[in-house]
Amino acid sequence: MEPAANTNGREPVLEVKGLHAAYRRNRVLEDVTFEVMPGTLTAIVGPNGAGKSTLLKTMLGLHPRLGGEVRFFGTSYRNAKLRVGYVPQRGSVDWDFPTDALDVVLMGLYGRIGWFRRPGRRHREQALEALAKMGMADFAKRQISELSGGQQQRVFLARALVQDADLYLLDEPLAGVDAATERAIMEMLKTLRAAGKTVMVVHHDLQTVEDDFDHVLLLNRTVIAHGPTGEVFTQETIARAYGGWLRRREMVPG
Amino acid sequence: MIGLSHNALWVLASMLMLGTASGLVGCFAYWKRHSLMSDALAHAALPGVVAGYAILGFKSLPVMLLGAAASALLGALAVSWIRSGSRVKEDTAMGIILSVFFGLGIMLLAIVNRLPGGGQSGLDSFIFGQAAAMVRQDMRTMAAAAAIVLLVVLVSYKEWKLHLFDPAFASGLGLSGRLMDAAYLTLLVAVIVIGIQAVGVILMAALLIIPAVSARYWTNAFGTMLALSAGFGGGAGAVGACVSTLGDGWPTGPFIVLAAAGTFLVSLLFGPRKGLLVRAMQRREQMRKLQTRAIRSDKLTEGEALP
Amino acid sequence: MRTRKSNRAIVRALALLATLLLLPACGSGAEGGADGAANGSGGLSPDGAIRVVTTIAQIADPLSVIGGDRVRVESLMGPGVDPHLYQASQGDIRKLGNADVIFYNGLHLEANMLRAFGQIGKSRPVLAVGEAIPEDRLLRDETGAVDPHVWFDIDLWKIALGAAVEELKALSPDDAALFEANKRDYFARMDALKEEAARKMSSIPEQRRVLVTAHDAFGYFGRMLGLEVVGLQGLSTEDEIGLGDIERTIELLVERQVPAVFVESSINPRSVEAVIEGAKERGLNVRLGGELFSDAMGGAGTEEGTYIGMFRHNVETIHQALTGEE
Repeated sequence: MEPAANTNGREPVLEVKGLHAAYRRNRVLEDVTFEVMPGTLTAIVGPNGAGKSTLLKTMLGLHPRLGGEVRFFGTSYRNAKLRVGYVPQRGSVDWDFPTDALDVVLMGLYGRIGWFRRPGRRHREQALEALAKMGMADFAKRQISELSGGQQQRVFLARALVQDADLYLLDEPLAGVDAATERAIMEMLKTLRAAGKTVMVVHHDLQTVEDDFDHVLLLNRTVIAHGPTGEVFTQETIARAYGGWLRRREMVPG
Repeated sequence: MIGLSHNALWVLASMLMLGTASGLVGCFAYWKRHSLMSDALAHAALPGVVAGYAILGFKSLPVMLLGAAASALLGALAVSWIRSGSRVKEDTAMGIILSVFFGLGIMLLAIVNRLPGGGQSGLDSFIFGQAAAMVRQDMRTMAAAAAIVLLVVLVSYKEWKLHLFDPAFASGLGLSGRLMDAAYLTLLVAVIVIGIQAVGVILMAALLIIPAVSARYWTNAFGTMLALSAGFGGGAGAVGACVSTLGDGWPTGPFIVLAAAGTFLVSLLFGPRKGLLVRAMQRREQMRKLQTRAIRSDKLTEGEALP
Repeated sequence: MRTRKSNRAIVRALALLATLLLLPACGSGAEGGADGAANGSGGLSPDGAIRVVTTIAQIADPLSVIGGDRVRVESLMGPGVDPHLYQASQGDIRKLGNADVIFYNGLHLEANMLRAFGQIGKSRPVLAVGEAIPEDRLLRDETGAVDPHVWFDIDLWKIALGAAVEELKALSPDDAALFEANKRDYFARMDALKEEAARKMSSIPEQRRVLVTAHDAFGYFGRMLGLEVVGLQGLSTEDEIGLGDIERTIELLVERQVPAVFVESSINPRSVEAVIEGAKERGLNVRLGGELFSDAMGGAGTEEGTYIGMFRHNVETIHQALTGEE
């Protein structure tokens, strides 16, 4: 893959136009529109309930879309599935499930292994490699229920790595992890960017946005601001994103 | 086993296979956190069975089973409709459907029992089952059911593992959650419908729930848990059937459930994973270690108890 | 999308529906007998005929013949209905409430209706005709429970019907003579039936005189006519059949080389079919000899819908199956 370069003249990796979504009776996403260029590392920030998780889920078809359009690499998600890697929230999974870390990472390869076929030695080696990249090689055969929060998150990252996608969407990967894991994850994301991949991260910590992310998307039901961090991440935009969220909640008609 | 009559053999084989199929499907239900759903759907099948007879006017097993499947599926739909459209939690929704459908079934049964030939329809036997009356044809049916379930599980084993563990990620990879849910529901309803003839609506849930829960105490691997669950289910079926031959008038269905409950008790006490005995031993081991350390660091003299 | 209010309404409606549907399932409506029992206790209907309600048709049919048009008889349990499991509905309670006199078999046959009878009995005559039979003539099983299927013993049934007729005479003394005469005629027919049955049964070869049926309904029949009777289930259809019952029955069939077994009109034939298949495996080709009327009688308006016709049908069917082709 070509290294990240000037984005002028390149095709956007992700285009969202006028996306609408609701959760129960509240409108969660309203007329969300933005474009993401390749080779960027974007933080999606906003107050709780602003629709950050819902944005990822709606784009991937995991949550019903009420309107709008989403294009991945210029085509629909179904056609681009193999190029998109999704890392859901750690809490969305039952870590009590009887399986080990290697097995979870292997799951990332199921798309390539093919339905109804067994994983082969080569696949297992790939999975082990990914675990090693996240510093979890020793834990390959450990039950996932015995892993700490940070270790679980690393396993999730390893699973994403093994997918070898071009666009990664991560939902709160740094929530509740120890400092060492946080560093390891951010290092990995930057390595991915250096390799030309595109990464979007739903992020909760405003302090680290400027240090780690070259782009930021401020979301509060709609896009407050989106662009290079230096330009767009200002007192004013932050205030707009976080200030008004306590006021009225719009009801969905009908 | 010497001295087993042909009938006993048919019952034994049928129950063995039913138990195996139930154990497998029940394992899936366990990881979907749907164990109560098995109970709800088994009960929901009753009105369909009765309607199948009432509409036709005479007894036809295929029609009654079709009715059972239809009303069980209706129940499943009703549960998800209630959940998606209201604030009612899933287990509450299942409880509602269980009682409403079962009540409807009992009501229809009371009506049918008044019709000429109503007593002959054998509808009452769907409530508690009539395992003792299994014949060669039933054995073939059970065998087919078990074979199909086994085939589905083996062929798409890793797909099931993925779907049960992380359905969102699975969907992202292209494994449609809806397809897997539909397949799971089909298997569940099929096993329920075939099983209620043998053990009845009320006891079917036990066969679906207990083997899986028991298996959990023995292993940390999903594949092993599936195999154990199938084994416990089949074993309970076989043992229960055997024991019921020993006494005069001993009903087969309840003995199977008791056998299953027995495996659960053993698993709870002696299972290496969080079994009570193992836990007690581990605790004692840790207390001992603590005490040894305390003695070594001179905090205690030997023989003195920990504070 | 549904609003909050309509969601709550839906849940409430479902809960209400669940409650309504479960109410009839909670046992017989004996409590509802209050309003039914309010009208007409003891008085006769406008045209002077006695309104008789019975549980089983084996009581209703003979009484309708004996009473002629001086009675209007109705039975709660129709053809094919199992009295062991029967539960009274609100409609039945109303019928009982409108009757002048009620007859039931007793001896624990109508197990689920005893409470209803207790209630009704406070306002009108209710008679368990089977209990008019002297105790020493009743059959018991090995646990001591009384066999309630007394209508299969013609002499015993004459006693039971006689008691019912006495009750009718008491209610309508003017018709007493008519009732007595009709009763004598009917009893004569019953005696003829008994002779015919005895003749037919004795023409069956000795060792083949085994009657295997779905449940133990034919004890009195067997005693009266010299048949050994074996039922798969016990005296009541409430018990579930176990493998032991099926195996025991097959043993007997093979041992005695019995040519035929019988299903019953009010019972699921599945267990009998299992017996037949099991016996086949042992090399014995047992035929399904036919359907017998055990607890219920045949359809209204048919020959088998009458007591005598039903009895005769049983005798014919058994005779043909046990003597017929090998």
